Amino acid sequence: MEFLIVSTLNGVIYGMLLFMVSAGLTLIFGMMGVLNFAHASFYMLGAYFAYTLSGLFNFWVGLIVAPLLVAIIGMLIERYMLRRVHAHGHAHELLLTFGLVFIFEELIKLFYGDFPVSYQRPDYLNFAIFNLFGTDYPFYRVFIGLVALLMFIVLFVLLTRTRVGMVVRAAERLPDTARALGHNVPMVFLGVFGAGAGLAGLSGAVAGAFFPTNPNMALELGVIVFVVVVVGGLGSLAGSLIASLLIGVFSSFAVGLDWSLASLFGLIGLGDWANSLGGLVTMPLSSISATVPFLLMLIVLLVRPAGLMGSKN
Amino acid sequence: MDTETQSDVLVIDDLRKHFGGLEIMRGVDLTIKHGERHALVGPNGAGKSTLFNLISGEHRPSGGHIYLQGQRISGLKPEQISRRGLTRSFQITNVFSRMSAFENIRIGVMARHGIRFNLYRRIRPMRAINEESHALLRQVRLDHRADSLASDLTYSEQRALEIGMTLATGAEVILLDEPTAGMSRDETAYMVELIRQVTEGKTLMMVEHDMSVVFGLCDRISVLVYGRILATGGPEEIRSNQEVQSAYLGEEEEH
Amino acid sequence: MRYALIAILALLALLIIAPPLLGTGWQYALINALIAALFAAAFNLLVGQGGMLSFGHAAYFGVGAFTVIHLMQSVEYGDFPFPTVLLPLAGAAVSLLCGVLAGFFATMRSGVYFALVTLALAELLHSLAPHWDEMFGGEAGLSSMRMPSLGLTFGSTLEVYYLTLAWVVICIGLLYAYTRTPFGRLTLALRDNEQRIRFMGFNAHGTKILVFGISAMFSGVAGSLMAISNETANYSVFSTQVSALVVLHTFVGGSTIFFGPIVGACVLSLFTFVVSGVTHSWMLYQGIIFVLVMLFAPKGIGGVIQAHIEQRHSLPWKRLAAPYALATLAGLMVACATVFVVQSLEIVLSREYAAAVARTGEYAPYTVFGLEWRVFHPLTWLFPLLLLVPGLYMLRRAFARIQTLWDNDESDDDGDIATTPELMEGGR
Ligand SMILES: Nc1ncnc2c1ncn2[C@@H]1O[C@H](COP(=O)(O)OP(=O)(O)O)[C@@H](O)[C@H]1O
Ligand SMILES: [Mg+2]
Repeated sequence: MEFLIVSTLNGVIYGMLLFMVSAGLTLIFGMMGVLNFAHASFYMLGAYFAYTLSGLFNFWVGLIVAPLLVAIIGMLIERYMLRRVHAHGHAHELLLTFGLVFIFEELIKLFYGDFPVSYQRPDYLNFAIFNLFGTDYPFYRVFIGLVALLMFIVLFVLLTRTRVGMVVRAAERLPDTARALGHNVPMVFLGVFGAGAGLAGLSGAVAGAFFPTNPNMALELGVIVFVVVVVGGLGSLAGSLIASLLIGVFSSFAVGLDWSLASLFGLIGLGDWANSLGGLVTMPLSSISATVPFLLMLIVLLVRPAGLMGSKN
Repeated sequence: MDTETQSDVLVIDDLRKHFGGLEIMRGVDLTIKHGERHALVGPNGAGKSTLFNLISGEHRPSGGHIYLQGQRISGLKPEQISRRGLTRSFQITNVFSRMSAFENIRIGVMARHGIRFNLYRRIRPMRAINEESHALLRQVRLDHRADSLASDLTYSEQRALEIGMTLATGAEVILLDEPTAGMSRDETAYMVELIRQVTEGKTLMMVEHDMSVVFGLCDRISVLVYGRILATGGPEEIRSNQEVQSAYLGEEEEH
Repeated sequence: MRYALIAILALLALLIIAPPLLGTGWQYALINALIAALFAAAFNLLVGQGGMLSFGHAAYFGVGAFTVIHLMQSVEYGDFPFPTVLLPLAGAAVSLLCGVLAGFFATMRSGVYFALVTLALAELLHSLAPHWDEMFGGEAGLSSMRMPSLGLTFGSTLEVYYLTLAWVVICIGLLYAYTRTPFGRLTLALRDNEQRIRFMGFNAHGTKILVFGISAMFSGVAGSLMAISNETANYSVFSTQVSALVVLHTFVGGSTIFFGPIVGACVLSLFTFVVSGVTHSWMLYQGIIFVLVMLFAPKGIGGVIQAHIEQRHSLPWKRLAAPYALATLAGLMVACATVFVVQSLEIVLSREYAAAVARTGEYAPYTVFGLEWRVFHPLTWLFPLLLLVPGLYMLRRAFARIQTLWDNDESDDDGDIATTPELMEGGR
C-alpha cells in the first residue's frame, strides 16, 4: 500500500515534469514539422543557468530568469539557423538540431566540467510536506508538480482563450491559410519555438534542483521525451499529457517491481520451465524498466503511429 | 456485368468508395473496350482521380468490383495491378526528379522485363534494356534530353516523360490523369499528337477537361458527375445528351 | 573518371605502403578511420541512396561486433574452428538477418516515423544489453582473443590493420558495384518517389527491406572489424553516440555522393585522433563543424568538391582565386579565434586551475598556441576579437563575391537547390 501510494505520487509528479518538457516539443512539431532533437538540451541549459543565477543572486531569480535566457537562445536558433535551412526540408532541420545537441552538451562540459554541479533548492523549501507510513514526503516534489500544473493551466488558457492562442492553433493546422488570413506565421513560429524552449528551460530550472544536474541530463531525458511525444501522438498536447503521466507512473513503479516474464508463466504453471530458459525471460522488470518505454514507443509507432491522441491526417 | 467479352478490357461493376462518412464513388459501372481511347470527363471534385486511384490500386474500393482482362483486380496492390498490364500517370507530375530522363524511363523498362531484385549484374551492359529505353525516349521525343535531370525538364517535357514511363512498363491499359493540364495551346496540341501516336494499339483511359482534346482524340466518352456515370457514348452522343449538357458541358463551354 | 580511378589506386597504394612506417598509435587510428568509413558508406546506402534516415544504425554495427566476439570466444575455447580472417562474414550474416527483420517493421513507416522506429530499436537494445549477461556480457561486455589463422598470428596492430584494410576495400568496392546494378538504380528511384515505383510494378516494401538489410549487413561488417581490432565489445556499441557519429560523418562528407560519407568519416575520425590528444573539446569542434556544414554547405564536403569538379570548365578560376584566398585566410582567422577561446576556457575553467588559484591565490598565466596568456590582461581578450571580427567581415565579403562569380557563370542551377534527400516529407 505504501509502495503503491508513494510510487503513484512520484510517478505523477515525474510525469508532469516530462510533460513540461514535451509540451514544447510536440507543439513545435505540430506547427513546424520539425522534430527538435535539441529540445532536451534546453532543459539542461535551464538547469545550469538557474544554477549559476541562484549562486549569483538567489534561487527565485534563477527560476525566473533562466527560462527567459533559454527562450532567447531558442528564438535565436529558430531565427538564424532553422529558418536558414528550412528550404532544404525537414530532414535537414532535424539534422541541424541534432548537431546542436552535441554543441550544447560540450559547451556545458566546457563551462561546468564533466561532473554534476550541486544545484540546490533553498533550505526553506527543504521540508517534508506530509508523512506517509512513516516516511517523509519532500515538499519540493510537490512543488515541481505545482509548477507543472500551473504551466499547464497557463498554456491551456493561452491556447484556448486568447487571440494569440487561436492564431497558434490556426497556424498549427493550416499554416498556409493562416498566412493568407494575414497572420505573421514566421513570427508565430518564432514565438512558439521560444516559448517551447522556455518551458523546457523552466522545467530544467525547477527539476535541476531536485534531480542531478549533469551534462548527460539532456540525452537521458531527451530519449524519454521522444517516447512521450510519440506515444501521445506527435503534435498532440493532450496526448503528451496522458503519455507523460503514463510513462512517469510506469517508471516509478517499475523500479520497485521484480516481476518477470517467468513469473507471468508461473501464473499458468509454467514457472519452472520459464526459469530454466533464463535470459530475457527471467529478467526482472526493475532491470528492464528502461527498456519498456522504448518497447511501448515501438509498438505505438508500428500499430498506431498517430499515437494515443493524434489525429490521422 | 456478365456480358464480358474478349473485347472488354476493363470492367467496373457497381464501384463504391467512401472516405469516412463521405461518399465519393456511388456505384460506378463502366466498361472499357480493347483498343479504344476512352475519355473520362466531369466537373472538379466529381471523383475522376479517385476512380483512377481505385482502378490502379492506390485505394481499396468500399464496394463493387473491377476486372482487368476478365480477372478481378480490385483489392490487389498497385504493383500487382501494374504487373497485370495496367499503369497510370498522375495528375501532378510524379517522376524521379533526381534521376536523368533516360533513367526514369529505364526504371519502367526494368519493370517490364521483371528485373526487380537484380544485384548481381551491371546495368550498363544490358543491351536490350538500354536500347529499349532509348527507343522509348525517342518515341516521346525526349532523346535530346536523355541526360538531363528530370527536375530540370520543362513542365511539358516532364509530362511527356510521365507518359514515357507509363509506356515503358509495357502496360496494355494506360490511365492518364489530365495529361494536358496547365499547358499552352501549342503544348496541348503537341501532347495530343504524342498521346495519339504512343497509344496506338493500346487501350487508353484519360481524364481530360479540354473538350476539343476529348472530341478530337477519344472514341468514347464517359461523364462522371458526383460519383456516378451520367452517360457513356461516342462524341456525338455525348454532345447531344441533354442531361450532360445541363450538368456539365454547358458550364464548361462558357469558359 | 580515369582521374578518379588513378586517385583511388594511388590512395590504396599509400594505404598499403605507409602504415609500417607509422607508429602503432597511427595504425590504430587508421584502423578506426577505415571502420568508420565502411560504416558511413553502409549507412549512406540507406540514407543517401535509399532516402531513409536512420538514427539507430548502432544496432547493426553492434550486432556485428557481438556476433564476432561470441564466435571468437568459441574459437578461443576450441569449441568451433573458424578462421579469424573470415570472422566478418559471420557478423555480416547475423546483421543481415537482424536488418531484414528490423527493416521489415521500420520500413512500414516513412519520414520522421521511420527515423523514430530505428531510434527506438537501437535504444531498446542499448537499454537491454547491460542487463543481459549471457548475450551481451552485462555492463562489462564480452572479451576474447584473436587466434592465429592461415599463417597469420594477428598479434600486431599492423596485421589487424591489413585485415581491416582488405575487408573495408572489398566492402566499399561491393557497395560501389551495388550502385551500378539494376537494383542500385531502383534504390535511387525509391528514394525519389516511392509511390511511382509501386505503380510501375515494383514491390516498394520489399525493396526497402532489402536496402535496409544490405545496409545493416555492411554495418555489421564494420562492427565485426571493430570487435576484431578491440578484442572486446560491450553494450556501449549500441549507444546513441555511435548512431550519432555515423550521421555526423555521413552528412559532413555529403550524403548525395557515394564517396562523400567515406571522406567525411576518414577526415573526422583522423581529426578526432589528432585533436583528442590535445584537447577535451574535440566533440565540440566536431559538433561545430557539423552545424556549419548543415548551415552553409548543405551537400557536405563531398558536395562542394563535386560542384567544383562539375563546373571546372566554366568557372572563372582566375577571378575566383583572390576571393578563395581571402576566404581561406578569413576562415583561418575565425577558426583561430574560436580555438583560442575554447582552449582558454578549457584551461581556465578546469578543476586544476581553480584548485591552483585557490592554493596560490593568484591567476597563473597559461599557454595556448605556444604563447603565454594572462587571464585578466586586455590583450588576452583583444586577441580573439581582433581575429574574429575582421575575419567574419572578410568571410562575408569573400563569400558574397564567390557567390556572384558562381552565379554569373552558371546557366541555371547552382547546386544549392536539392540538398538533403527529402527524407522527411510525407510521413508515417
Ligand atoms: N484520400 C481522400 N480522403 C478524403 N477525401 C478524398 C480523398 N481523395 C479524394 N477525396 C475527395 O473526393 C472528392 C473527389 O476528388 P477527386 O477524385 O480528386 O476529383 P476530380 O479528380 O474529379 O476532380 C473530393 O471531394 C475530394 O475531396
Ligand atoms: Mg482530379
